[in-house]
Amino acid sequence: MRLLWSHGAEFSFRPGEFFGRGEELSALLRVCLEGKSGIGASVLIYGPPNIGKTSLLLKLKLELQSLPETSAPPRPFPFYYSFSKILSHPLALSQHFLQEYLWQLLVFLGESPPASFDLEALCENLGARGHMECRDFMSAHRRYSEKGDGLSALANAFSFPFATGGNLWYPVFLFDDIQYTIKLQNISDGAIFSILRPYIKSGHFPMIVSGSSPGHVTSSLKREGLYGSFQLVEVGGLSPAASVKAWVPLFERRKIRMPEHLMGRAAARLGHVPIYQRMFAEEVSFRNGQMEDEVGFENLYALSVTEGKLNRYWREFFENAIPDRVNRARAIKFLKRVICDQFPIDTFEGAFSLMGISPEEGGEILSALEFKGLLKSDFEHIQFIRDPVLADFLYWAFERGVLGKNTPQVAASIVQSKISRAPLEEGREEHEKSAGVAKEMMRRWDCREVPALLFDFGRFREKFRGKGLLEIVIGLEGDPGKVKLPKISSVSTGYRALRGGSRFDFDLVAYGFREGDFSEENLVIWAVDVHTEKKIASAAVEHFENRCRLLSLEKGLKPGQLAKWILFEGAADPSVVDLAVRYGIHLTHRTQMRLFLNLFGMEELEKGQEETRPPEPRGGEKPLEFELVLPMKADTEVVAARVAEEVAAYASLDKDTVDRIKMAIIEACINAFEHSGSQTGKVRLRYILSPEQIELFVQDDGKGFRPSKGDDDAKRHRGWGLKLISELVDDVDITTGEHGTTVRMVKHLRSGHGEGSTTSNDEGQ
Amino acid sequence: MSHLRVRTREGGGGISVVYVDGYLNSLLGEEMERAVYDVVDAGGAGVVLNFEGTKLINSIGISFVIGIVERMRERNSTLAFCSLKRINQELFQMTGVSRYVRLFDTEEEALVFLAQSV
Repeated sequence: MRLLWSHGAEFSFRPGEFFGRGEELSALLRVCLEGKSGIGASVLIYGPPNIGKTSLLLKLKLELQSLPETSAPPRPFPFYYSFSKILSHPLALSQHFLQEYLWQLLVFLGESPPASFDLEALCENLGARGHMECRDFMSAHRRYSEKGDGLSALANAFSFPFATGGNLWYPVFLFDDIQYTIKLQNISDGAIFSILRPYIKSGHFPMIVSGSSPGHVTSSLKREGLYGSFQLVEVGGLSPAASVKAWVPLFERRKIRMPEHLMGRAAARLGHVPIYQRMFAEEVSFRNGQMEDEVGFENLYALSVTEGKLNRYWREFFENAIPDRVNRARAIKFLKRVICDQFPIDTFEGAFSLMGISPEEGGEILSALEFKGLLKSDFEHIQFIRDPVLADFLYWAFERGVLGKNTPQVAASIVQSKISRAPLEEGREEHEKSAGVAKEMMRRWDCREVPALLFDFGRFREKFRGKGLLEIVIGLEGDPGKVKLPKISSVSTGYRALRGGSRFDFDLVAYGFREGDFSEENLVIWAVDVHTEKKIASAAVEHFENRCRLLSLEKGLKPGQLAKWILFEGAADPSVVDLAVRYGIHLTHRTQMRLFLNLFGMEELEKGQEETRPPEPRGGEKPLEFELVLPMKADTEVVAARVAEEVAAYASLDKDTVDRIKMAIIEACINAFEHSGSQTGKVRLRYILSPEQIELFVQDDGKGFRPSKGDDDAKRHRGWGLKLISELVDDVDITTGEHGTTVRMVKHLRSGHGEGSTTSNDEGQ
Repeated sequence: MSHLRVRTREGGGGISVVYVDGYLNSLLGEEMERAVYDVVDAGGAGVVLNFEGTKLINSIGISFVIGIVERMRERNSTLAFCSLKRINQELFQMTGVSRYVRLFDTEEEALVFLAQSV
């Protein structure tokens, strides 16, 4: 079998086996065709290795080639070029690039290219047929090559295509494996983009660039100021429906029978990745295997991943990615823990400590893995790909290499684990989303004090059953019970037990420090489980408690050092709630979670699910008052706006009025943040709602603000805040005293009130 | 498809459409400014700023918009806005921005207008 990373023109792309990706294809096709009118854009395709990026490019090439010839010229000439084949020397690249271009061009023009891959011959061939004269270019290229001037040779070669075509065709670049361009000797990162920049910007030459480590490429694009010109397309596995459909031709051709009910399971087992599906079909055909039921399928799969095609595929991948044996073994051992056991690692630091080697050595391994697309990094944060086949391969490699088990033993345990595990958990995506939101929130905890009721579903339900959101908010604030959250130093996605030996068998595990003090005695561990089922079962609570006990034992945690927390979305019987209380497990329902998220200025899990708004306006009652204290941090004004929205909704105001109130409060907050010079760094907000009006107070403890006098370029357009506020609400008062400044804004809710605004400066306040 | 909060699309005839998604504050304002100047620097004839995805605009965001309006006028490049929420349209009226830039309900209308005036 030809390996994927040696593809290129000779890659055996089988259009008949290309499925799904209709949306991506039509978008790409449109981009390519727009080059004709000079409005072509550029696209960066990225995704894990083997996912089908190359197939997507080759399919696109095919589609472009088979466009009806009736359309008016210029026609798009799709030029596919993979950087993975090149040598790291720029001269070799430029030579190869020109050869490929000329060769593919001759084919495109319907000529038969010469048997040899000789540049001169190709060039002559093109000239002899009257297509174009490229001798000057070639001699310039030869000159640079002789001088050993790699960069000039590259610039020459990569500019060449743009001089061809005229009105007859225009080149559409399909650049594959772009990450290899960073490996060029003595050529800076992104030199290729620097050469291509004017052509990309022109809009006449659409470029589709594909690669597996987007971090490298996007940083090059940013340096060249091209990032804005590129659309990003992430390619993942196929949709379940498309991957099931993909089985049909694969099996038909090889006369393989698979019961229909197995197809979905089989596609999912292979991560919906087309290349795996093809390899698996080849495997079945090769072994003449039978798949009458689940066990039959799982056996063949386990065979393939432990000694067959899938195994060889990944073995060669690792040999190629990390040639050094010691490092390869380290990488496999490490990846086994991260991808297979889902060991909670999402930072470089964590990765190095898990590998147990120096950052230099570890960095080398991680960058090799990133280059091959097994992980992507974003500053400190790293994320590993999820690939079920890779996970099984790593399991095999680990069990065999580290534990010395033989292959049939490993295969048997893979089959056993797959068979015993329930087929594809439903609602997994929902679950991951919820865990992700919780994870993000925990990162922001930072020793804040929050209402204890948010962790106590039983009491929360008792107290607020049938109450509206605002009553709940007020009730929470009035409740004396508070919990001081720790400062979280790391929070990672944990895992559920796959194959014994689990240590972090939780959805989330967070390490935090009380009072932000990074000492051993202040360390607290938060173990979190997320339940998205319709109803939480007492068995789930028991199971959670058991795992917590194990963790406590293993880590030698003192009482109070382990916080146990279950987040759930469905219903809970009183017995389940009691059980959690007995075990000291924090229990938070989705409705509590929404309030929790709001405290940290985060979006709700999902909008519009269970609106807790009371049905009628509360006209005729005495004014309701709400308070909010905000830290003076960028964007916290949005929280103030959200609360204003909730308060306004309470009075059933129309959307325009609500929008104006929101904008006014945002401006008042920004003014306080920017100009007050407050010591405490806090802004106090009050919202007073009566049937006649909504009154908003924004108070800081600073020195008072005046319209900014700074007239430097960045600030010269500023100073709109107060003007806007006075336009947005009906009355404005600004009072400044030695204890700070208060902006009072009033919006009348009944018609017939004046439109005027007043501004006063009362030093006596 | 895209993770960017500001995206640029070629709209035809050297006109680019810049989409601004989210809360237009100083961060997003800078991104937007960069995207527009990239287009202008590359010789683009005109820009449509599409505010359909802009949830909120604060005064700092407005100052970036004003900066762009001035720069475009200096360079004689054409500019139009489209798909504004009502509150944002009001904000542009209050600040006077709408005196200098044509606002359109849809992107197509804006593109047609710019194509004629380029």
